[in-house]
Amino acid sequence: MIRIAAVGDIHMAPETRGLLRPAFDTLPECADVLLLAGDLTRHGTPEEARVVADEIRGLGVPVVAVLGNHDHHDDRPDEVAALLRDAGAHVLEGEGTVVDGGGARIGVAGTKGFGGGFVGRSAGEFGEPVMKEFVRHSRRCADSLRTSLERLEEEDCDVRIALTHYSPVPETLAGEPLEIYPFLGSYLLAEAIDTAGADLAVHGHAHAGTEHGMTTGGVKVRNVAQPVIGRAFHVYHLPVPERLRSGAGAQATTG
Amino acid sequence: MNAHDAGSAGGPPPAQSPEYRVAHLQDRLASGELGELGVRIEIRGEAVLVTGTVPSARCREDVLSTVREELTGLEVHCDIVVSEASSPDHAEELS
Repeated sequence: MIRIAAVGDIHMAPETRGLLRPAFDTLPECADVLLLAGDLTRHGTPEEARVVADEIRGLGVPVVAVLGNHDHHDDRPDEVAALLRDAGAHVLEGEGTVVDGGGARIGVAGTKGFGGGFVGRSAGEFGEPVMKEFVRHSRRCADSLRTSLERLEEEDCDVRIALTHYSPVPETLAGEPLEIYPFLGSYLLAEAIDTAGADLAVHGHAHAGTEHGMTTGGVKVRNVAQPVIGRAFHVYHLPVPERLRSGAGAQATTG
Repeated sequence: MNAHDAGSAGGPPPAQSPEYRVAHLQDRLASGELGELGVRIEIRGEAVLVTGTVPSARCREDVLSTVREELTGLEVHCDIVVSEASSPDHAEELS
């Protein structure tokens, strides 16, 4: 099996330094990769990002992250991303990466994503400039997710995962007020995932939401916001592709 | 209707109504130094219910302190919990 650990919305700050590290230190025993689904800090300051960086440095499994809206609040997302990269994380925005996890090639396409709402109840690119920009930002994120997933398809990945902060589907928002769904995700992300294909979609952002959902195209979606999963992370076991079961990666599948 | 009319009707001035005070509190929690968007504040009868999950006990205290300051005079019921930071005890099999 391919073991995917994931968590989002850890909202770290100096007062929570070291809080997650004991749990993260168990990752090599139970996971092949750790995905961080954004909102890693409270305000997106470099000081908070350093706390996250120390939490994930030298974990023993690859770490792949996207940023969330909180990580943008201080208007220094590039600094936050750079600090996480210095700690060894792959920080994605509109791009993909392939990591070696237990002998498998795990492809992750990542974007923060954005809001706009879901089919039949979504914002349109119309009217005031700020409204049009809102929708365009969401569309750009979704387009980049689709492109990244398609590129991963060409890179012979054993599994492909879509990693976002905002939600691609409304199911994983259940528990949140209906009125704020347009600020929690966009169907454009799900459309991108279904168009390009993926084995799993992971997101955060919706603290009062629900863990399980699925896109129209049948891709499983998991909301891994820490308040939702109630743990330092959750682990998902993906089936081992035939190539690994019968070929060079057989050793990795016995663990 | 203006504020004077509302006052003479016996209720609080519109700007002081619990609904607007709760809305301003929510805005302060999100946009102020706490940056807290994960706390829900709802009017329940004569009281205000505060729920949500925050990353630390200190954060919970900070939120509560702001809530009490902003909603002085209103009864506040708090059910804010702190995130659980332990390892999972099982994995989910996705087939």
